[in-house]
Amino acid sequence: MNGSNPVYPFSAIVGQEDMKDALLANIVFPSIGGVLIRGEKGTAKSTTVRALADLLPERDVIKGCIFRCSPSDTRNLCESCRNRVAGNGQPECEPARMRVVELPLCATEDRVAGTLDIEHAITQGQKKFEPGVLASANGNILYVDEVNLLDDHIVDLLLDAAAMGVNFVEREGISYSHPARFLLVGTMNPEEGDLRPQLLDRFGLVVDVMGERDSARRSEVVKRRLAFERDPVAFCRQYETEQQALRERILAAQEMAACMEADDRLIDTAVKVSLALGVDGHRSDLTLVKTAIAFAALDGVEWVGREHVLKAAGLSLPHRMRRRPFEESRADLGSVKALIAECYGSP
Amino acid sequence: MNPAFPFPAITGHDNAKKAILCALASDEIRTLLITGERGTAKSTLARSIRTLVAGKQVLTVPQNITYDRLLGTVDLETAVSCGKIRLTPGILEQGNCQILYADDINLMDEGIVQNLLSAAENGRFSLEREGFSRSIATRFLLVATMDPDEGELTPGQMDRFDLCVRLDPIDDEEKRGEIVRRHLRFNQAPDEFSRGFSPAAKDLEEKLVSARERLPYVSIPDGHAGLISSLCLELGVAGQRGDLAVARAAKALAALDGRDEVVFDDIKLAALLALDHRRREIPDSPPPPLPPQDNKDPDKENDQEPEPPDPETPPRQDPPQQPETADRPEQTPPAPPPPAEQVFEIGSTFDVIRYLDEKSKKATSRQKSGRRTRVLSVDSSGHYRSFRLPDKNRNDIAVDATLRAAAPYQRIRERNGLAISVKKPDLREKVREKKVAHTILFLVDASGSMGVRRRMVEVKGAILSLLVDAYQKRDRIGLMIFRGTGARLLLPPTRSSDIAARMLRTIPTGGMTPLTTGLSEAHQVLTRGKFAGAGENKSIVILTDGRVNVPVNNGPPYHELSDLARDIAGCGIRFVVVDTESGFPRLNRARALAGDLEAPCLRLEDLKNRGLAASVQDFIYNTR
Repeated sequence: MNGSNPVYPFSAIVGQEDMKDALLANIVFPSIGGVLIRGEKGTAKSTTVRALADLLPERDVIKGCIFRCSPSDTRNLCESCRNRVAGNGQPECEPARMRVVELPLCATEDRVAGTLDIEHAITQGQKKFEPGVLASANGNILYVDEVNLLDDHIVDLLLDAAAMGVNFVEREGISYSHPARFLLVGTMNPEEGDLRPQLLDRFGLVVDVMGERDSARRSEVVKRRLAFERDPVAFCRQYETEQQALRERILAAQEMAACMEADDRLIDTAVKVSLALGVDGHRSDLTLVKTAIAFAALDGVEWVGREHVLKAAGLSLPHRMRRRPFEESRADLGSVKALIAECYGSP
Repeated sequence: MNPAFPFPAITGHDNAKKAILCALASDEIRTLLITGERGTAKSTLARSIRTLVAGKQVLTVPQNITYDRLLGTVDLETAVSCGKIRLTPGILEQGNCQILYADDINLMDEGIVQNLLSAAENGRFSLEREGFSRSIATRFLLVATMDPDEGELTPGQMDRFDLCVRLDPIDDEEKRGEIVRRHLRFNQAPDEFSRGFSPAAKDLEEKLVSARERLPYVSIPDGHAGLISSLCLELGVAGQRGDLAVARAAKALAALDGRDEVVFDDIKLAALLALDHRRREIPDSPPPPLPPQDNKDPDKENDQEPEPPDPETPPRQDPPQQPETADRPEQTPPAPPPPAEQVFEIGSTFDVIRYLDEKSKKATSRQKSGRRTRVLSVDSSGHYRSFRLPDKNRNDIAVDATLRAAAPYQRIRERNGLAISVKKPDLREKVREKKVAHTILFLVDASGSMGVRRRMVEVKGAILSLLVDAYQKRDRIGLMIFRGTGARLLLPPTRSSDIAARMLRTIPTGGMTPLTTGLSEAHQVLTRGKFAGAGENKSIVILTDGRVNVPVNNGPPYHELSDLARDIAGCGIRFVVVDTESGFPRLNRARALAGDLEAPCLRLEDLKNRGLAASVQDFIYNTR
């Protein structure tokens, strides 16, 4: 919005509930660690991600900061903002909307990590850091289309930064570090090859999307899309109430999730499920717990219920199960449901 | 900077924590490797070191590091403004007296890893670049992490790590729950959480200080020194680094425990930390319960006297030990000590080995994967490794190096208002390196010749097994068959094992043998269109008996085949011919084809034990 091209509203997207849920959970609880969307082309993946960025309310960032540091998050400031805050306390702020920053497949290492600012070096004779994609991504959504086709060394950079929340640059005469905390959203078509298991594990949630199978809903998709293209402004206005309601729901959920405690039953369940499935490492326990909390918060309830755990399990576990080659990994999800039912009681 | 998870708050991983404390307590331990599968808190543990060393900095060595930042380079700004060449120190020098932290070291450029390890070990490195020629002293502790599933380090690199610990996922329900709880609490309120653990962190810091003070006075009883060397021999550890590392770690453990003398348990744990990653061969069967009667090494005979003292009793007090001899334990006594001095019995070597075996059981059960092949990239993709004088019009200018080259001349050059004027001789271009994937196309004779069924089973098995491995190597495997009058691309080169399994369910066989057509089409698949991409290693594995009976242009089939083969040989695609001919008489036509293609020729019959996949891998991954 803001005078620029209107974005298709999030609330107007038909179906794809899993994808929407997974994205919202990450907004509520950013440390869940991103979403990987697997599926064919033309399943509204990129539309949904862009709609999400547009839906979110503007937030305050420090004025003039290229990394858009948040004044309230004093622990994760960049060097210059840290100095400014230390110098005169309250820096000037400006509102900023969340953006979708794309990482193209052909991106080179220096563009991703950032590099020496050539122009500055030639005109001023001084070294200066030229920020790359990871810098733009701070506080935004980093969207990697066809993440499974990304060059290995770029993936390594990405993982490095995503894991630490900081991008350390030690290259081409430049030594610099800046915050790089972003919501990582990847898409892939599994037919084009698998993802490295290490990268797969870093994505908090995985969603498998399919084209809408129901013919009535399919035609609804087309109808809405055409209406949007005919008159985007009017179309958006039509959904404004719903958008506003969703916005408020997200804000409330964020506040709630920040102070919600994980109860023993939830933690026990998560641990039992992980052990039963023999998943690798500890990320599955953590993600399951966080996602369940996020879903409860989105529902506006203080206690995590059975349905929240079930939904969270469906998104956080399948890609972490040890897969034997040539087998569908979904098979074991039945036993997970049974386990959860055991801990939480049947409906 | 976001706060690190406090060291004392990490649940489990006791040995790894001990290893870290040893490394922090002893200046002699300079390299520590933490390995483990994904999600086992490797990085959390490594980063938590920051919470233990208040006075020291932890410098991160990122994946994107280039040589100039590692080793140091010309300072651009002084060069431009004063025309003076001054050195900007790189991370190796900045790390002097600090800690360097390298995440996923197995994914880093090999040269960078080499430099890091040798600088850590030698306490100095030499800088020979851009007009500098210096040897710079630096002392730091290198802490690195890696996930062996993503590729291993070479044995030589592994040997350079003084200590190595492996983290296993924790299976205990209660502990796992505690991990989740602590992690969530830390996420919600990092400062408050860290404060809760600050008394424990303080204790550890104090413990470290007193251990550092005590360490020079810690001694290893002679008998234990013998135990260390016999352990290293027994485990097939090459070189002396292992012996030294065990001794240093054992001393650090004793110092941390507030003792002046190393005891058996110190050595046991030290061996796990320092020798497990240096073992040459891991025994398939557990070590013999009884020590072997005949000892191979006569020198060790004295040390292994089956004399009484049981390992339970504490080692007897030794005569006052000079700290400087304790430093190099394997050389300690010039003359063999009298038998009465022995403090370990012959079985204790095997006690320790059994202990190591038990601890490393899980690690050996997993299949190991090699490092991926790396080549210098010809386009502008890949990791910027170094720079050189440009030889062609490549337009991939190494701006930093170019500016540095130009900088000293700025005072005498006409600058036209710019800060730096660059002339042609200053130009440097980037040398980039990238990991390459292989594309392997199997070209298989599916005509009605002998043994076609068995051949297909073999090929299918090989493709699937190569694809499972391709998970790590990111290779593409495809299958083309030829039969009847033409060739068919049954499986376009793919990385997905699922697709391969689906598409290879049925393979049609029977008919004539149009080998020439098959070969020419296979060549086209890899040179045109989707799979023609530069920078990939491409191979065609041909399974044939070399017979051909379908002409392409109505010429004599064998002439056509030979012409084509010679034509496409040496075009950048690697060929491997697998001769499927069996029985008698042999025509050896496949061998002739291999000759024309300048390709190695294997016999399918001879591969039975090695398997097709493994043999093909040998040829394709090992550059000839």
